[in-house]
Amino acid sequence: MVEAFAVASGKGGTGKTTSTLALGMALADEYDVTVVDADTGMANLLFHTGLDDATVTLHDLLVGETATDVSEATYDRFGLSVVPCGTSLAGFEAAEPARLRAVVAELAADTDVLLLDSPAALGSKSAVLPVVLADRVVIVVEPTIPALSDGLKVQEYARSYGTETAGVLFNKVREGTADVTAQAERHFGGPVLASVPDSDVVRAARRAGEPLLAHAPESGPAACYRRAAGRLDVRDGDGDAVADRFRSAVVPDTP
Amino acid sequence: MTGSPPTLRIPRGNLLRSRVVSEIGTTLSRALDREVTGYATVVPQETLLLAGEAKGVITFDDGVPVLAYNTVSDSGGADALAELAVPGPYRVELYAVDADGLAAAHRADALRVTPGAVATELADDQRLADRTRAAAPDERLVEADEDDTDAVTAFLEDDDRIAAIREQARTEAAARAREWGLDGALGGPTDEDGCGDDRSDRDRSDARSDATTTER
Repeated sequence: MVEAFAVASGKGGTGKTTSTLALGMALADEYDVTVVDADTGMANLLFHTGLDDATVTLHDLLVGETATDVSEATYDRFGLSVVPCGTSLAGFEAAEPARLRAVVAELAADTDVLLLDSPAALGSKSAVLPVVLADRVVIVVEPTIPALSDGLKVQEYARSYGTETAGVLFNKVREGTADVTAQAERHFGGPVLASVPDSDVVRAARRAGEPLLAHAPESGPAACYRRAAGRLDVRDGDGDAVADRFRSAVVPDTP
Repeated sequence: MTGSPPTLRIPRGNLLRSRVVSEIGTTLSRALDREVTGYATVVPQETLLLAGEAKGVITFDDGVPVLAYNTVSDSGGADALAELAVPGPYRVELYAVDADGLAAAHRADALRVTPGAVATELADDQRLADRTRAAAPDERLVEADEDDTDAVTAFLEDDDRIAAIREQARTEAAARAREWGLDGALGGPTDEDGCGDDRSDRDRSDARSDATTTER
């Protein structure tokens, strides 16, 4: 089985990478989970997983006519298969985003859950690709009007490509913030998965180069992420069929 | 509140700054740092669902926002913030007014906003919101505990506004899909006769232009 989720937000700084890894680790109790840094222009998954020195990354897989195997860019960390992306501009410039389709297809053949940590903005083809390729999207937002507006925009982009909303994750929720779950759920095509509080422990995990659920598994935010993962209701998919779908996605190949 | 709709009467003041800005945070930050007592007029250039000449007024006391008012809808407080929280650019004018000149206006509870709400909802800047709260007098922070997310609630209850945002996003998504050669991946009815022969060139230019993509 496999289901691919794009973790997206429409704006930066909402905690997408933290959320992707936290959801991944929570789901890894039950599933074989692969996390991919699909933000090829502003990668940071590697910094969250202690893979700063990774020699082979997604960038290498997205360069044409190289013999790099997907397994070479896949690292076992924290109970997850992690595919980090490099941070060099040269690597980014050489990468052909349309090749992400083939990479995702190969990864999909050998995992239960694929989480695609997606770019913040929707302003380019490579930024929107994870949303195009995923089965469903998890929208990470702070409970503010600009963030919710951007989250709604992501949802409509995703829907345009037939990608439904798995749920909304309220992140960095400040103390004293009123609960707007019911109002938000009227507009999003999935439940509010959790409201994760703004917390120093999240920043400490980031500084330590560890996912939150490894750094502070007993913390309040970690518990919220586990609850969110439990509400994701991962669907059974035929891995081969999904891989075929990715391979045959209409994303045109670059010559 | 009951009775007549809220109105805002303030002296004209001295113009300190007039700019078209993509982010209103710069203006708010300047008002805070200079402890401006006065007001800013905010005119979103994209008047999504704000008929006519939408104009917001934010008043400041020693740099901390006190009131918000939309002169088009006559909404005040959190409702006005929700209406004004549209993507920039905005034309912003900042005026200084004698403290006495705003004293009467600042007694209008119906128009009040919490100290950090303007930075959060209009500028999308939590650090600025934190700085603003830190500069606010204690009595303003008491009210903040009660209704800091009123504007978010007002926004989420404005079904017409949200329908407009979604419709605009759908239109934009479809247009961009054609531009990127992804229209075949659209879930709905598709334009089958897309011009395929120049798609690969676009792929490459997209990859490179991504490096300069900035977040709002």
